[in-house]
Amino acid sequence: MNNNNSIPPTPASPKPVAPVSEHTAGFSGYFPTWCPGCGNFGIWQALKMTFNKMKFDPDRLSIVFGIGCSGNMNDFLWANSFHALHGRAIPNAIGIKIANHDLPVVVIVGDGDCYGEGGNHFLHAARGNHDITVIVHDNRVYGLTTGQVAPTASQGFKSKSTPQGIIEVPVNPIALAVSQGATFVAQGFSGDMNQLVELIEKGVAHKGFSLVNIFQPCVTFNQINSYNWYRDRIYKLTSENHNPRDLNSAWQKSQEVTEKIPLGVVYDVDRPTYTDSLPQLSGKPLLDSALNIDLAQFINDFV
Amino acid sequence: MIDITVKIGGEAGFGIMTTGLLLGKIATRSGYHAFEYSEYPSLIRGGHNVIEVRISDEKVYSQQKQVDILLCLNLETFNKHASEVKEGGIIVYDTEKIPESKLNKPDVNLTYVHVPFVSILQEHKLSTVMLNNIALGALMHLLGADLNILNAAIVENFARKNQEIIDKNILAAKLGYEKTQKEMPQGYKLKLPKLKNIIPRLYISGNEMIGLASIAAGCRFYAAYPMTPTSALLHYLASQAQNCGMVVKHAEDEISVINMALGASFAGVRSMIGTSGGGFALMVESVSLAGITETPIVIVMGQRPGPATGMPTWTEQGDLLFVLHAGHGEFPKILLAPGDVEEAYKLTITAFNLAEIYQTPVFIIGDKYLQESHQSVEKSIIEGYKFKIDRGKLLSQEELSKLTEYKRYLITKDGISPRAIPGMKGSLHQANSYAHGEDGHTSEEADVRIKQVEKRNKKAQTFLMNDFQMPVLYGNRQTPLTLISWGSVKAPILQAMSKFKDKFNYLHFSYLWPLDKIKIKSLLSTFKKTLLVENNSGAQLGQLLTMVTGLEFEKKLLKYSGRPIYPEEILDKISFST
Repeated sequence: MNNNNSIPPTPASPKPVAPVSEHTAGFSGYFPTWCPGCGNFGIWQALKMTFNKMKFDPDRLSIVFGIGCSGNMNDFLWANSFHALHGRAIPNAIGIKIANHDLPVVVIVGDGDCYGEGGNHFLHAARGNHDITVIVHDNRVYGLTTGQVAPTASQGFKSKSTPQGIIEVPVNPIALAVSQGATFVAQGFSGDMNQLVELIEKGVAHKGFSLVNIFQPCVTFNQINSYNWYRDRIYKLTSENHNPRDLNSAWQKSQEVTEKIPLGVVYDVDRPTYTDSLPQLSGKPLLDSALNIDLAQFINDFV
Repeated sequence: MIDITVKIGGEAGFGIMTTGLLLGKIATRSGYHAFEYSEYPSLIRGGHNVIEVRISDEKVYSQQKQVDILLCLNLETFNKHASEVKEGGIIVYDTEKIPESKLNKPDVNLTYVHVPFVSILQEHKLSTVMLNNIALGALMHLLGADLNILNAAIVENFARKNQEIIDKNILAAKLGYEKTQKEMPQGYKLKLPKLKNIIPRLYISGNEMIGLASIAAGCRFYAAYPMTPTSALLHYLASQAQNCGMVVKHAEDEISVINMALGASFAGVRSMIGTSGGGFALMVESVSLAGITETPIVIVMGQRPGPATGMPTWTEQGDLLFVLHAGHGEFPKILLAPGDVEEAYKLTITAFNLAEIYQTPVFIIGDKYLQESHQSVEKSIIEGYKFKIDRGKLLSQEELSKLTEYKRYLITKDGISPRAIPGMKGSLHQANSYAHGEDGHTSEEADVRIKQVEKRNKKAQTFLMNDFQMPVLYGNRQTPLTLISWGSVKAPILQAMSKFKDKFNYLHFSYLWPLDKIKIKSLLSTFKKTLLVENNSGAQLGQLLTMVTGLEFEKKLLKYSGRPIYPEEILDKISFST
């Protein structure tokens, strides 16, 4: 039996399109399917506002999405994008950057994706100071797979996969990034969109590996780390209480994870990026190098 | 006909491999054909290393069992390999280091040459790493080769070192040469006469040839995680990266390797990765990602004996069916398996074109035997190979600008959609790991799913129509027996055939997937008798051909000891089965 005849043709369901304002024009895709009240909405709006503010062109912006509720933003945010496998968005992004270092490259992932499945890539991307911006949706839970524990969950957190409470202590994303050589590390909250725009813009503008870890309450599967839970604990880093160019100060701030939680730029230093350290890329992007090459010198090595 | 095998053995870490490499290179420069085969354990120091170089004035395809000259740098080499030396052959060893009482001398007429390597080193205050040049000097004399060619090779080899080191190495070679000259009996006939017409040849390994071809093909990104037998490809390309404008990335793991390459390819750069079975196992999920996102990639899969860590430094063809089935879900992939360095060059260049034409993963399946063995090949074959860089349906900015709407996964007759690169004006799209529609957006609608599955499957049909190559028949069509094999087994089969031209012919598969079922079946049906020859225990090509054609293969020569098949084993099997 021919497959084409076995199933009556169904018209593609029309997808509602997201509202477009002067702040989000050009990047708005379909209207999100996230739960009402999801912290992802704030991050989504902040990203579109940042890209417009930075006058990016969707054709000339590359976004790599991970897999999870955050990764589903692939259909809600228009840009030249690669929708990766779970855990593997960072190496895809590094490859894009190496191929064309003129393109801004942004990675949109969740905490399970980035610190769990893809944890190894995260460490090594920080070490290499690859010029990409990693936006992590940190909600301390797995949403898309319906509520198991994430590596960022507080010790003792009960979930479908840890009904007696999780035994491990949580990953500390900020300390991890600072200690492994990231050159820009910031923390935001999806309930504060104005600050998010500021942090994402600084992260994307930064030359080198940048992390923006964003607290993003999951209203469906995490009843503990709610908007109010965060609001009771967060405070802003200012020039009075912190110097982001000072490693010791950054390290101290990275240890504030329970009572008081800092928001803002935790660490910001300069180091040559991976692509800037390759002489082969000093003239033009790898993409633009000629493919034909005189082979004689290479052949003669074997005579 | 001149046909000499020199075998050199000793402890790992004493430059045995370099000795063999230089010997093969010198023979090639002198106009001879050479083929190298080495055996070594997965250790850095200690352990037993041997390398053999077969030198002939006619084309040589593989190693052979019998040895003409055995050079022993330790007792183990003598006792393990003396029995391989044929009547009238020579064994060179250090009488001061290797006591006579411990030697198991074979019961045939051999010439024993005593070269006191260690005391020569001590007397002339040379370092232990120069021992291999004393050995090379000794071999130069035994072969009747010109010491000046060795000296030139030493100067090249140590080009970055200071003059004192070069001089000392040249002295070591001279001492080895002179000592051997003194030791040799009167009337010894030198083995390699000076040739009049010297045809320029390369002396190159499979790994180096794949690397050279990737440079020729415009590969601009190579990523790998070290793993025998493909590490030398990483080393070669890393050494040439700045010269050819390639970025070579040793990534943190194999999962990162393939995903970086997919990112680079998505962004428009020709990309290749290399690994072996264990590393490839880690990449498999992302092979599937390449399939659904329709991202071109060339994957060099160098086989070694598994399962798991297996025998890291030995050879096998145990991963054909693994590669064939790698990746969850259904999508087309292309499998190519070169049989020698010439094929490695041509198929690697082809692989880059096929990857971009069909926007899907293309595999170059090799093994330790092909990738680590050096062999000589006419320079003119490589220089004269004409090819075009074909990027398939990759759109130029001009072509893209003419489109009213760009759809990355457009349904087309041949299954291949136009590809734009991020950054181009009007290129907006997503490469999506989820099932998607023509515009790249996620879709779980049944009709969209069916159309995209059929579109991807169609690429295999298009490949069979436009680019598939039938297996090549070597030898006389009318012989009573046809050997069937793939990849590096070509070497011992053609070697065996060079001696017995009318006993059998050989059907060589280098295009392994997709296969044209009808053509292959009708071709196989024309053979009177067949013998399947494979370097594995499961007759994996046989299984594949049975799956495709329904034909069964009764007679098989299968070897899975971690060693390559020898031409002698093929001839034994044939005389037994005919």
